[in-house]
Amino acid sequence: MRANPDARGLLEIAASTFRADVLPHVAPEARFAALMVANALEIAERELKGLDAAGHSMLGALALLYGEDADDVLSGDDLRKRVEALQHRLCIEIAAGDFDQEGQGVLMDALEAIVEARLGISNPKALG
Amino acid sequence: MHVVKASDQSPPSLLSGDNRVRLEYWLAAQAGASRVTVTEDGRLGGGAISLNLAVTLDIVGGPLAGRHACVLRAEGGGRISASIGKLREFVVLRAAFAAGVMAPEPLFGCDDPAVLGHDFYIMRRAEGLGAGHAVTRSEAAQPELARELGRQLGLLHRITPDTEGLERLGEAPDCPAQETLAQYRRWFGDLGRRDPVIAWGLRWLEVNAPLPGAVVLCHRDFRTGNYLVKDGALTAILDWEFAGFSDPMEDLGWFCSRSWRFRRPDREAGGIADRAEFYAGYEETSGRRVDPARVAYWETAAYLRWAAVAVEQGLRHSSGAERSLELALTGRMLPEIEMDMLRHLRTIGALGGMAADAVEKVA
Repeated sequence: MRANPDARGLLEIAASTFRADVLPHVAPEARFAALMVANALEIAERELKGLDAAGHSMLGALALLYGEDADDVLSGDDLRKRVEALQHRLCIEIAAGDFDQEGQGVLMDALEAIVEARLGISNPKALG
Repeated sequence: MHVVKASDQSPPSLLSGDNRVRLEYWLAAQAGASRVTVTEDGRLGGGAISLNLAVTLDIVGGPLAGRHACVLRAEGGGRISASIGKLREFVVLRAAFAAGVMAPEPLFGCDDPAVLGHDFYIMRRAEGLGAGHAVTRSEAAQPELARELGRQLGLLHRITPDTEGLERLGEAPDCPAQETLAQYRRWFGDLGRRDPVIAWGLRWLEVNAPLPGAVVLCHRDFRTGNYLVKDGALTAILDWEFAGFSDPMEDLGWFCSRSWRFRRPDREAGGIADRAEFYAGYEETSGRRVDPARVAYWETAAYLRWAAVAVEQGLRHSSGAERSLELALTGRMLPEIEMDMLRHLRTIGALGGMAADAVEKVA
C-alpha cells in the first residue's frame, strides 16, 4: 500500500521548506552545513523523480553509437541494467582502441549526452 | 579565510590532558628551550584530509624564544591514496621553504607515536583569505597575483629529485605520464570498465602520453583555494600533502583546470587572470619555457585525478569509514568533473588536437 504523500512528495516539501524557512535563519557557523543539507535533499528529490528519464536519455545516447532502438518501455531495474550493459560494452571498445582513429565525433556526442543526463540529477546548474 | 572556528564539530581530543603535556615536553627538547606552553586557538578549515589546529607556542629559552602563532597539522581520520603522510609533507615543506617558496615555515616534525599518537608537524601560521569563492570574487582580474603564483611555482620547480633531504619521497618516475596512468588505473579500478567517460579519459592519456622530460618536485594541489591572499597579495602557499616528483607541466595544468576557477570560469589561470600572466611569472623563475601542449595533456590528467579523488571521498563516506555529508556530496561531483574534462577535450580538439603532432609521444 502506498502512503500519501509518498517519499518523493515528502522529500520535495521538506527540501523547499528547508530552503525557504530554515536556511535564512541559520547562524553563520552552521551555514555551510545547512547549504550541504539543502543540496543533498534536492539531489535526492531529483533522483527519485528523474532517474528513469535520465536512464532513457543515456540509452538514447548509447543508441547513437550502436544503432539500436532506445527501448522506451524499459523502466526501473531493467532500464538500469540495460544502460549498464551498454556502458560496459563501450568501455571495453574504448580501451581496445576502437575510437583511436575514427568515430571520435560520435563518441564525444554520446559521452556528453550521458554526462548531461547524470548532471541533470546531481547538479543541473553545471549544465551551462 | 583560513578561518579560526570554534570547535563545534567533533572537537579533536588531540591536545587534551596528557597529550598536551607530552607535546610541551617534546617541543621543549626539540627547541632547546626550558619550557614550551601550547595554547589551542581552534580548528582551522581545509581539513578534509588533515587535521589542522591553530596553536600558539610560548617558548622560554633557546634560539626560538618568544611567542609564535602556528598550525599543528596531524594525520586526519583517513588518508586517501594520493596523500603522502605528515612527515613526508614536513620534508617537502622544508625543501620548498629553503628554495625561497612562500610556504609557511616548518618548525618541528614528529613521527614518534608516543607523543600524539599520529605523525604531525608544526609550521608558522600565515594570514589571509583562502576560500576559492572569496579569492575569485573580485570584479577586476588579478594579473599580478597570477604572475606571483607563477613565480612561486617556478621556484618550486627548481627543486630536483637529487635535492638533499627528499629521499623520503621515494624514487622519481622515469616517465611521469606512464606512472600517472598506471596510478589512475589502480585508483579507478572497476569504474574504468563501467563509466565510458573515465574509460575515454584513460585511453586519451595513454594515446597522447608525451615523452618524458624534466622531473621536478611538484606541489600537486597548486590551485586557487590552497593559497592565502591578504590585501590582494600572496601570503602563503598551503596544502602540501600531495607533493611528489613529476613533470613540471602537471602543476600548471592543475592550476588552470576548470575545476579551480570558482566564480570566474572565464579566467583560465585559477579564476583570477589569463594564462599568459601566470605563464610569464613561471618563466621568470623556473628557467624553462611553458609547453602549452604538455600543459593541455596534464590538464586532462587533472580532471581524471580530481575525479578519482572525488570517487574515493564518496566511498570513504559510503563504506562507513568516515561518515560525512561533505564527503558524500564530493562523491556526487563526478559528472561535473567529467563534463569539465569533455569541455577541455573539445577545446583542445578545436585547436588542432593533441592526436596530431603537438607533442612528441611515447606511443
